[in-house]
This record gives sequence, C-alpha cells and structure tokens, in this order.
Amino acid sequence: MAKARAIVKRLKAVKNIRKITRTMELIATARFKKAMDRATEAATYTRKISELVADLSKSAMTFTHPLLQAHPEEKHSILLILTSNRGLCGGYNSGVLRMAQRRMKEAQSPAAVELGHVLQVEVSGKRGLNFMRFQQRPVSESYTHFEDRPAFEEIEKLADRFIELYVKGKLDRLDVAYVQFHSIARQNAVVETLLPVGQLAIATRGSAQKSETEKQENIEYEFVPSAKEILEEIVPASFKARLFKCFLDAAVSEQIARMVAMKGATENAGSMIGDLTRNYNRARQSQITSELSEIIGGAAALE
Amino acid sequence: MVGHKDLRFVLVTPEKTLIDQQVESLRFPLFDGQMGVLPGRAPLVGRMGYGELQFHEASGVRSFFVDGGFVQIKSGVVTVLTNRAIPVAELKRPQAEDQLRQANTRPAHTDLELAAKARDIQRAQQMVALAKRSS
Repeated sequence: MAKARAIVKRLKAVKNIRKITRTMELIATARFKKAMDRATEAATYTRKISELVADLSKSAMTFTHPLLQAHPEEKHSILLILTSNRGLCGGYNSGVLRMAQRRMKEAQSPAAVELGHVLQVEVSGKRGLNFMRFQQRPVSESYTHFEDRPAFEEIEKLADRFIELYVKGKLDRLDVAYVQFHSIARQNAVVETLLPVGQLAIATRGSAQKSETEKQENIEYEFVPSAKEILEEIVPASFKARLFKCFLDAAVSEQIARMVAMKGATENAGSMIGDLTRNYNRARQSQITSELSEIIGGAAALE
Repeated sequence: MVGHKDLRFVLVTPEKTLIDQQVESLRFPLFDGQMGVLPGRAPLVGRMGYGELQFHEASGVRSFFVDGGFVQIKSGVVTVLTNRAIPVAELKRPQAEDQLRQANTRPAHTDLELAAKARDIQRAQQMVALAKRSS
C-alpha cells in the first residue's frame, strides 16, 4: 500500500513540474519572438552604417581615429561578461563563463603579469555575478538592469564611458564575452574584442554580401563635411552599434537557450510520468494480488 | 542618372526603423545648418546636427527631433541614421529645460569636456525650442 501511495505523490509532483516547465517554455518562446524582432529591426542600422563606411572609405583612403589605433602596450583591459539574470536556461551561462574564464586566465599568465597587465571584469546579469562571487573574483562594475529588452540609451552610456577611457589611454582593450546568435539552431559563446576597433572591420556579420552589391554601383557622393570628418564621427557610432548588437544577441540567445532547456525538461517530465504511471499500476496490481491471495489463504485455513 | 521623380524617406535608429515611406520633401539639420531635399537630389553623405527633422507627406507635415547622426541620399532614397528620434509632439518641455539646466551647470575643464558640454547645450536648446513650439 505504502509504495503505491508514494508513487502517486511523486507522480503529482512531476505533473506539476511539467506544467511549470511547459509554461516557461511558452513564455520563453514569446519573449524570443519579441527579442528576435528587436534584433532584426536593429540590424538595419548596423547594415546602413557599414554601407556608409564602405562608401566613405573609397574616397578617404588615409584616416586615423583614436578608437582604431591599438595602443602599443596592453596594460589595462576590460572584460565585459553578458549573462542572464535568471537561471533555468541550460548551458547558456556556463558557456559564456567558460569563455570568459579562458580570457581571465590569459590575463593572469606570467607573461601578461610581467607586463603589468590589469584586467577588470564587468558583469551584467545576476548569474554571472553569483559565479564571480563564488570564484571570489572582484567585479569592477555590475549591471542587472539589462533584461531581455536592452535599450540603446542605456548601452550608449556604457559605450560612452568605454570610449572616454580608451581615448584617454586608461583602457587598452575591451572584450565582450557573450553568446553570439547565428540562427535559431546555432548560437555559440564567444569573446569578441571591440576595442580597438579592428581595421575598418566595422562591417558586421551578415552585411558582407550586402556591401558587396553596393560596391558595384559606384556613386559619386557629395560629402558634407569631408569624407574624413564623417568617418571620424562614424567610428564611435559603429562601436556603439556593435556593443548594442552584443546585448541584443545575448538577449535573443538567452531566450532560445531557455526555450530549448524547458522543452527538454517538459519532455523528460513526460517520459517520467509514463514510467511512474506504469510503476504505480504494477504496484497497485501486485497489492491487489497479494490481498486476494491473503483472503483466499485465510478462507482455505478456515475449511 | 537624374530621373528619380519620387523621394523615399527612411528614418533608422539603432533600435528600429521608425519610418519608411514616400515623401514630397524633407528638411533636416546638418552639422552646420538646415538642409532641404526634394526629389531628384544628387547623392550625398552628411553629418547631421541636432534639431527638427520635418517632412511633407501626402497627408500633411510631420516632424521629429533628431539627435545627430548621419544622412545618406542615394538614388531617390534618403536614409537618416540617428541615435534618437522623438516625435515633436512627444517632447516634454520641463524635461528638456531640465536637461538644458544640467548641461549649463556642468563643470568642464578639458577641451573634450568643453566640446561635449557645448554639444549638450546645443542639443538641449534645440529640444527646448521645439518643445515650446509644440506646447
């Protein structure tokens, strides 16, 4: 009797959990769609910026910008880690943190320490903060207000601070560890160097083929002011757009990771319910059989 | 080369594409003054200033406050890339005045800070002027 009842209890618990994970999956799906829409809308801006850069660089061959120049010595660097505020999203956070740790180890290697390399770690998301606390690693800045809808205005503030530090020479390298979004089926954790801005590598992913077609039509533009001055303004703008894109990618990937994790959890709960139901039926049956045999045995003893 | 009789206007911010439609004409601030565009404009790339972007469409005139950025005119399409674009009707006068006050009272010592301060003052002034007109 006791066994069957214990199974019933567990069965109920598993059914409840399945309900919850199923709901979470649906919520994650809805959020993913929203985040995805935002990301696709934002892609227009980055695509246009890189198109402009391609147009401009044709007419201004030589030009320099403080953000484009790598500093001769790499002493101060910042690693920005984008994690989620909430858990239950599979390997999302651990993937990012693994990549981030690799970069942190690199900065702590004897060769880097000899050069006086200082790496500051900035973390966005409670999950990453908890991890750093566990590792007892100091975190210089922490953000928890970037949910699944990062606003450009907030990221601009961040970007402005990085630009200022870099121009003043207080920052020599900026890396961002986040989960890059390729497609619904493929996202991978990466550490990307955003500063110094690679040699006109402003053309972001996915825009490469687009700018190819643009190159064919050669249009004589009128530049107001000169192409050089516009490029100088465009470099920080494109850096901001790239940083924003990192946040958007991270938001989209988080929802996908949660969606997949919750889908798996729901399926597991389903198969567990099947197993438990079978076990329960078996336990009940054997209980009935034993009760029957007891009655029959008792009746036989009376005769 | 010439022959684009209509004019398409695309307003893009980092977050989304706000407007993508046919217009009759438009006017926006460049870094050194206003600029107007009519159909058939020659290709241009420019740096924008702060202030009012106004365009005429079939149903009337609409205007936005734009926060710097770039403009690209190519084959009958005007693309404006800006960090922020706020419909003028949605500008809040007290907020704008507050920003102006903050920009005015901010201490600035280095050249960079001074330039940033001047830029912020100019932006806030434009916002206040537009907010005043719409209210």
